[in-house]
Amino acid sequence: MPNSFWRLSIAFALLTFCSADWAFADHEHASNEFEVFLAGEAFHGSGQVRAGDDDTWFNADVVFGLTQHKFRVFGEYYITPDEHDLERLQFGYEFVPETVLWLGRFHQPSSAWDTEHHHGRYLQTAITRPYIERWEDEQGLIPQHITGALFESRRPVGADGAVQFSGGAGAGPALQHGEYDPIDLVDHNPGRHRLSVTGRVAYLPEYVGASSFGLLYGHDQIATVSPLVVSALNSRHAVLSIYGAYGDWNSEPWRIIGANYYVDIALDQRTHDESFMSGYLQVERQLPDKLTVFGRIEESARMQQSTFVALFEDHDGDIEIALRRQALGLRWDYVRRQALTIELSHVVSLKQGSDEVRLQWSAVVP
Amino acid sequence: MKKIAATWLLAALVSVAFTMRASADETLVLIVSADSKVAQLDSLEVRKLFLGMTVTHNGDRLRPLLNEAEPRLKDVFLQNVVSMTDMTYDRRILRLALQGGRSLPAVYADTAALINTVAADPTAVSFAWVKDVQHDKRIKILRVLWHD
Repeated sequence: MPNSFWRLSIAFALLTFCSADWAFADHEHASNEFEVFLAGEAFHGSGQVRAGDDDTWFNADVVFGLTQHKFRVFGEYYITPDEHDLERLQFGYEFVPETVLWLGRFHQPSSAWDTEHHHGRYLQTAITRPYIERWEDEQGLIPQHITGALFESRRPVGADGAVQFSGGAGAGPALQHGEYDPIDLVDHNPGRHRLSVTGRVAYLPEYVGASSFGLLYGHDQIATVSPLVVSALNSRHAVLSIYGAYGDWNSEPWRIIGANYYVDIALDQRTHDESFMSGYLQVERQLPDKLTVFGRIEESARMQQSTFVALFEDHDGDIEIALRRQALGLRWDYVRRQALTIELSHVVSLKQGSDEVRLQWSAVVP
Repeated sequence: MKKIAATWLLAALVSVAFTMRASADETLVLIVSADSKVAQLDSLEVRKLFLGMTVTHNGDRLRPLLNEAEPRLKDVFLQNVVSMTDMTYDRRILRLALQGGRSLPAVYADTAALINTVAADPTAVSFAWVKDVQHDKRIKILRVLWHD
């Protein structure tokens, strides 16, 4: 689709929305939000000739939102020295409190980590995100950016609890050699985007609490015309079926977040599907003086045997696919909305092992 | 010697009296405008509101205003009403902003400005020491949130 169409559509929608004051009651305020999540990182990894795609020396995540009556607009623009992308742009209508239908480009709800932390580094205690939760342009194995409709609802259950439902459907990414290619709202789109259906059902022990436990599901139809991909897979299509479970338990000073995914890959010519599993468990504990210690283990099964997974290794000198990782780190929130973090990790990839050290400064402004 | 002892005793009594007076004033109350249609908000609604969730009353979306005029005031509110430390609360509402562009509660570092804003906006909800609002006819006290 032409760039100008999308740009005009976005501009028109924003202008229409922002000029709609007259339509609402006298006491209904428009409220807006603007935050910038900043991070700077230093990285060293043994046996790696360059920092990983998730280890840019600087990144800024610009978040903006506008709420007017029951309407919402929300966007997230991510900037690094190598990229600047409109990661999310969503137009929503809140039918009843905490039940919203969004249209636009969104993060698919069946990722336990990404729907909690998104692109901003400051809010994730660790520096790194688990490999299975990586974004498409970091050789992530699961499609994360969908363009279509997203329904989110949180309803009370029992005396204090709640059940949360999120379901998304729309156009998922195509597959190029080495990475997925989701729909780009402001740049060129080569097409071949097929259906993606994703969802999550979660139980929250407290309606307003941060703890939740749930089941995850994803169905992604992937198409490709890349000769390298077609040659490797002997297939022009792949259907990913993702089944997962996660838990995110918060009870100060502790937090435990973990998820496990089973990914089935159906190809045109295979009598037997490929499949692999990947999961992680991260434990955090707040200490005195605004220190937080954390540790994470990541494990996988059958990734080495998967020709589909091997496609995402781009041989550019860093680690794209980790079979397992152990990470340990310490975060210091030394002033309000600024933190310093050190993270040490050992990674075993498809081809090598590596010891890594990362230092990060992260912040939020204003 | 007796005179010195009496002086110390008097000083101690005055000190105790001032302390008791301060304690009596340390009553945290939930406030809205006198023009507000809101008659009451329960604990869950207050927590939802100040955690960035949508709370409506007669179709109007309520607007939380965070009172940061004194560090102790905010600490008491967060610990006893929201049940979180300041750092956890800040990260929690930032997370809600990142998840769906929800607006963070507006922050006021000046009591007079906060009270004026609440008085002028029937959808605004905030909290304050009772001594700062009890004689202000523009403000309606919904209930006591905490007292020493």
